[in-house]
Amino acid sequence: MREESVERGHSRPTITCDEALKTAQVDAERAYRDLSSYRICVTLEHDGWHVDYELKNVATQGGGPHYVIDSVSGRIVTKRYEQ
Amino acid sequence: MPIAGCGKPSPPSSGDGGTPGDGGTTQPCSRAPTAAELQNNPEVQSALHQAWTDSQAGDPAKRHEEGGWIYQNTTTGKISVRRAPAGAQASLDLSHPPTLDGSVVVGKFHTHPNPTSEGWNPGPSPGDIRVDALHGVPDLIQADDGVHVSGPDSRRGGPGGGPGYPP
Repeated sequence: MREESVERGHSRPTITCDEALKTAQVDAERAYRDLSSYRICVTLEHDGWHVDYELKNVATQGGGPHYVIDSVSGRIVTKRYEQ
Repeated sequence: MPIAGCGKPSPPSSGDGGTPGDGGTTQPCSRAPTAAELQNNPEVQSALHQAWTDSQAGDPAKRHEEGGWIYQNTTTGKISVRRAPAGAQASLDLSHPPTLDGSVVVGKFHTHPNPTSEGWNPGPSPGDIRVDALHGVPDLIQADDGVHVSGPDSRRGGPGGGPGYPP
């Protein structure tokens, strides 16, 4: 399903979902300390792996980290820390 | 300090011999304060300042969100504040305001203690914006670059509708 969502004409990803998640997790743990209150959503989009941490309790104020990770190099392209 | 538009004594009725302000009845609040009025209120300013101090923004290992609710007495217009339990580093639960007799929730506030210098967004998150629209009162957010406002400009529907968040 994820591979089907890759835009036509773009390179096949060489970075797996788990590898992208690991990259994001290392950075997120450094910034947010405790990630137990977040659920994680990983999707492959035309610009790379999107790794989004969303609060499990939707009634709370706040936010989590959001990443776009290059699906070929594995580098973080963009990141956003919400609070 | 009350917000303008409520709590003012009505002029005494003609012929009763009273002086203005000594015999009238207080007027119930006809409107809820705006976010700008709340920001200028000394009680709210003090609460924001204290919440920011309590957030320990200068300590990377302990910084966390703090906040609470802003109330208006529907008769006198007096503004008061109640604090919520401390939150986590980047989240806080303001969904259950305590009830204050004779008062309604007209706003809420919280802190964003994580530093912009380290890449943190100081303004309201998409989650803040969604929850603030649901709660229906202005949300004042103290960050290291100033105060951000989210949610409606004033309590949705005015001061009526019960003591908690507006219906």
